[in-house]
Amino acid sequence: MSGVQHSGWRISVDTGGTFTDVVVADAQGRFTIGKAPTTPDRIFVGLRAALVGAANSLELDLAEVLRRTDLFTYGTTRATNAIVTGNIAKTAFLTTEGFPDVLVLREGGKFNPHDLSQPFPKPYVPRRYTFEIAGRINSQGEVVRPLDESKIGVVIEQLRAKRFEAIAISLFWATANAAHEKRLAEMISTALPDVPFTVSHELNPILREYRRGSSVAIDASLKPLMQTHLRELEADLREAGYRGEILISTTIGGCLDIGSVIAHPIHTVRSGPAMGPVAGRRYAELEEKTESVLVVDTGGTTFDVSLVREGAISITQETWIGERFTGHMLGIPAVDARSVGSGGGSIAWLDDAKLLHVGPQSAGANPGPACYDQGGKLPTVTDAALVLGYIDADYFLGGQMQLNADAARSAIESIAAGLGISVEEAAYSVFAVSNETMINAIKDITVSEGIDPGEAVVVAGGGAAGLNIVPIARELDCRAVIVPRTASVLSACGMQFSDIQTEQSATVATRSDNFDRAAVNSALTTIDAKLHAFAAVLAGRGFEQHTLSYRVDAHYAAQVWDISVPLTHNRITSDGDELNLVEAFHAAHRRIFSVDDRASPIDFLNWTGRVSVHLPQAKIVASGGDGQMQPPSRQVWFDITGPEQAVVLRGGSLTAGQVIAGPAIIEEATTTLVLPRGTRTTLTASDSYLVELVV
Amino acid sequence: MDIKVKERQAADLSPMLLAVLSNRFDGVVREMTNTMLRTGRSAVINSARDFSCGITTADNDLFATAEGLPAHTYGLNMQTAAMCEFHDDIAEGDAYLHNDPYSGNSHPADHTLIVPVFWQGEHLFNVCAKAHQADIGNSIPSTYHATARDVYEEGALIFPAVRVQRDYAQIDDIIRMCQRRIRVPDFWYGDHLAMLGAVRNGEKRIHDIFKKYGASTIEQFVTEWFDYSEQRMRHAIRQLPAKQIERQGFHDPMPPMMPDGIPVNVKLTIDPNDGIIEIDLTNNIDNMDNGLNLSEACSISNSVAGVFNCLPSDIPRNGGSYRCINMKLREGAAIGIPKFPHSCSVATTNLSDRLLNAVQSGFSDLGEGYGLAEGGLGMGAGFSVISGKDARHGDHAYVNQLILGNNGGPASPECDGWITYGLPVVAGLMYRDSLEISELTYPIIYREIRLSEDSMGAGRNRGAPGARVTYGPSHHPMTVVFAADGQVNPARGVRGGLNGNTGEMHVIDAQGNTTRAPSVGAIELEAGSWLTGLELAGGGYGDPLDREPERVLDDVLERYVSLSCARDIYGVVFKGEADNESLVVDISATNEQRAQLALGEQAR
Repeated sequence: MSGVQHSGWRISVDTGGTFTDVVVADAQGRFTIGKAPTTPDRIFVGLRAALVGAANSLELDLAEVLRRTDLFTYGTTRATNAIVTGNIAKTAFLTTEGFPDVLVLREGGKFNPHDLSQPFPKPYVPRRYTFEIAGRINSQGEVVRPLDESKIGVVIEQLRAKRFEAIAISLFWATANAAHEKRLAEMISTALPDVPFTVSHELNPILREYRRGSSVAIDASLKPLMQTHLRELEADLREAGYRGEILISTTIGGCLDIGSVIAHPIHTVRSGPAMGPVAGRRYAELEEKTESVLVVDTGGTTFDVSLVREGAISITQETWIGERFTGHMLGIPAVDARSVGSGGGSIAWLDDAKLLHVGPQSAGANPGPACYDQGGKLPTVTDAALVLGYIDADYFLGGQMQLNADAARSAIESIAAGLGISVEEAAYSVFAVSNETMINAIKDITVSEGIDPGEAVVVAGGGAAGLNIVPIARELDCRAVIVPRTASVLSACGMQFSDIQTEQSATVATRSDNFDRAAVNSALTTIDAKLHAFAAVLAGRGFEQHTLSYRVDAHYAAQVWDISVPLTHNRITSDGDELNLVEAFHAAHRRIFSVDDRASPIDFLNWTGRVSVHLPQAKIVASGGDGQMQPPSRQVWFDITGPEQAVVLRGGSLTAGQVIAGPAIIEEATTTLVLPRGTRTTLTASDSYLVELVV
Repeated sequence: MDIKVKERQAADLSPMLLAVLSNRFDGVVREMTNTMLRTGRSAVINSARDFSCGITTADNDLFATAEGLPAHTYGLNMQTAAMCEFHDDIAEGDAYLHNDPYSGNSHPADHTLIVPVFWQGEHLFNVCAKAHQADIGNSIPSTYHATARDVYEEGALIFPAVRVQRDYAQIDDIIRMCQRRIRVPDFWYGDHLAMLGAVRNGEKRIHDIFKKYGASTIEQFVTEWFDYSEQRMRHAIRQLPAKQIERQGFHDPMPPMMPDGIPVNVKLTIDPNDGIIEIDLTNNIDNMDNGLNLSEACSISNSVAGVFNCLPSDIPRNGGSYRCINMKLREGAAIGIPKFPHSCSVATTNLSDRLLNAVQSGFSDLGEGYGLAEGGLGMGAGFSVISGKDARHGDHAYVNQLILGNNGGPASPECDGWITYGLPVVAGLMYRDSLEISELTYPIIYREIRLSEDSMGAGRNRGAPGARVTYGPSHHPMTVVFAADGQVNPARGVRGGLNGNTGEMHVIDAQGNTTRAPSVGAIELEAGSWLTGLELAGGGYGDPLDREPERVLDDVLERYVSLSCARDIYGVVFKGEADNESLVVDISATNEQRAQLALGEQAR
């Protein structure tokens, strides 16, 4: 295990809004899953219940499981939820005088030009909590107007009087010269020592005042909440007898120690979706599929898609919490996991000219699809799947929930009547149209990375993934799909494979025809020093192996949207190095946009270094049964033209290496895999179903 | 004429395929749009997203436009028709450049690339990318030449569907012509490449669809998709009351030519029986000897955009829904069909904005819940074209339009105006420049961008505020060219809603002396001097006395509305103080104040 001394068990926990998922990996790499409802008031209550569930499956008591464990990775949606619900600290936003509306105006943009019936979104920090700071630095880092300290004194008195709980500081061009921000922070920490604050040049020294300011506002606003939350969790875990390392999963698909996360809690935002590609990359590796990997995670209401290219997970600077344009931009680098509101609960409907639509409205979990019999009457994708024979009404969630097939049928009937087609045709149509949303999402991410989806392998996770992943993969011309048997807890599995990671960045704006090598190298040296200091602390705790990587965001002169280009070395020391960097940019531009402009100079902006401190990786061993059970069969609509007889297998009955030719259905306790004719499916030694599409 | 939702025929596509294919074609346009946005060079494209991509059929019906600008929604079909008319040897691998406002384009600054799409030897579609260029070789360093007497004084290179590629290879003559004539030729060429990338990508994606579904299915789909769009449109029009509406708006005076302002006259006839809306623009003045004349495409686009703004927003905008609109245009009219060589340099904004406002506000005559107020407009300081030399980069020449001003959106029956609205013709779609990126890219420094208190048209729903924008050159002098509007005539409210503020622009010199700038023209700013502009707010919808007092309270706390405006205009009186958030509505004082204001209104 790559020289890391830890060889004990590893626990990962993903606390979602509804369920807490736990994965316990033993020393052999066997995964055991526990699941329990999330308890928001005291997170450890639900967490303990999920842990006890896993411990029971292992026939051990909780104390013993914790005793054997030396790595505990915790992922939480707490920060994301706080942003979405506005349940955050009372935060002041300090901005450069003259520009109080940075958070109001965002970066403009809107969907649907002809819809003027939607209210304009509120800023993350209200205008009345925004304070202007006199003093101005220009794009070259020169002080155009000195900082007015007497005015700052007045602002500080207001911050005190109005009892702000957190302060966000983001001044213009702090990326070029941080003097004003530093002085302001100093004055605030002296005057208001108990109020947490975040300063832009420290947290996120990138260009663009909105996204930098937004990241700072979000970070500051989460500090009181996340500090309490994580300290409480830590205390509860210690109380339960856990003595090992506690790590928190992060936005870039890594994990960090509690102290680092409390200093900048923004790094926990959207850490759940960030873990999907970490899991997907590992599952693909285990099957020796090293080409591009598309990772999809399908839940009841959302569909997340992310991409791994040449072993690297795609990162974006443009993550929105909430809808694009109307939500709040995270502003820091994050795993590019795109969520669309589509899933088993999506509702099918006809417009006034009888065009079929599915979603964006969802029946959610309550009342849920019509077949749940909880009062929902509207036709959903799950109802369609039941009508088509994909789901067994008596074996949904491993038989934990009885479905009402008649209710599903009569719900779909409303669509069938409107369109003048049979119920099965209508069900198939609903299913196919709902797949379109997911196909769009996949195309969008592959297009923006210049990947041909036909050359990618798909890893499908989430409870509903197995129902539609084959037709989606077929539509995209993909040749192979991997569905891990632990697919339903993809994020928690991802944490089992994640490393401790942190990033440092700096803005040095320089142009390829007049490259400022000294300034770039000086920034890289500073970045390196910070990364090495971080790695040294962990080495002291036994995590000795680490790797460093670097990238720069760049664009052709006068373009404004950046592409990330990896650096091959940690310094630019020769003309050859410069040339390599320029060539790498041209190549990336050509790959993504199919054109380059070799005559144009290139602007380099944000330089980022990342350290990954390696953790032991679980290997996953197949569980599996004897493969001897005689399977039943049932009528299934794989196509709109008519049903076929398909064998139905229970997941636990298969042995590693066993091959199943479609048409077939494999039913797992947490997911169902629908395998049409023209597929060849193998249960692999790493406990995944490898589905090959053979046309 | 009574078109019912028609019964399904045996030859019809399955409902599934209709839905799936519509998604696929939208996907093509979305992908083209994304390519343009991310590869474009000039801020007009990559920040302001002043471009649109679309597909027309081989017989030149507008087919798919997705998220195009309202100002661009119509006309691609006229441009591809011009291509077909001018060339009898159109072949696979061709590309055409079109920017001719006399044969279907919006205005000369919008270069359009058209690629005919063939499948198995047959010409079946055209894909188009239309983008506003940073420069087009006008006689002044601006793509908006408001005072141009005619197309000759305007000076743009005009391309009436000129072939720029054959067999997928570039015809270098055209490129060289453009590079000799267009300022910042490298930016122009970068944008040209971005457009080429987009249309060739679109062509490839349409081929993918043909490969998967075959030509006959696609042909059937096109027919059904137009029918579907028509049905949606007719259905929507049938829900409206029958009425004839006349509406007049005024663009600001253009002294010395148009000292009283330029009237914009619209007559709308809504016929719910037939599901038809007639838009009559024939009662407008003759073409003017300036650059404000509308092209035919702009006259149609912006009238129809005004209609779409007042209907359910998910009706597809294509040749099918356009069947429900009857346009009446007059040749030689300033708003209508331009007579060559009258200039249409500024066709897409000023009179287009007024026209769009007139149509959407006209709809409010249908009654409560219909129509919209007028949106904030005018391309003042924050939308000017700046040019000069950049001392930081060896005096390299620059010219570009700023996109960081803010005119506020109109109030609607449902809500307050959209803040980052920009102009009626872009309706909030544009992105805003990052000020830091702008300062990095151009030798400019900003002093202030601030939403302005009390500027918006009050109402039950209020307009969105405009911004105060102040900037100057950081080193060498800077030329600023603008063609503003709204400094005399504001965006008007409807149904008792009030008008927004009027705009203004001033130059502040190094000594701090302030002089009013003209609303149309060019100025030179020295380092140390500033241009400051107040932009326009949107108009209000409904009586301000009907606005819920709690919403007025929120506006006061958030500093959009002052205490005195709350009392005098909205009739809302408070107790407590805003500063310590103890402010609450004084209900009895508010009732009294509102009763008094209502009496005053009646007396008037």
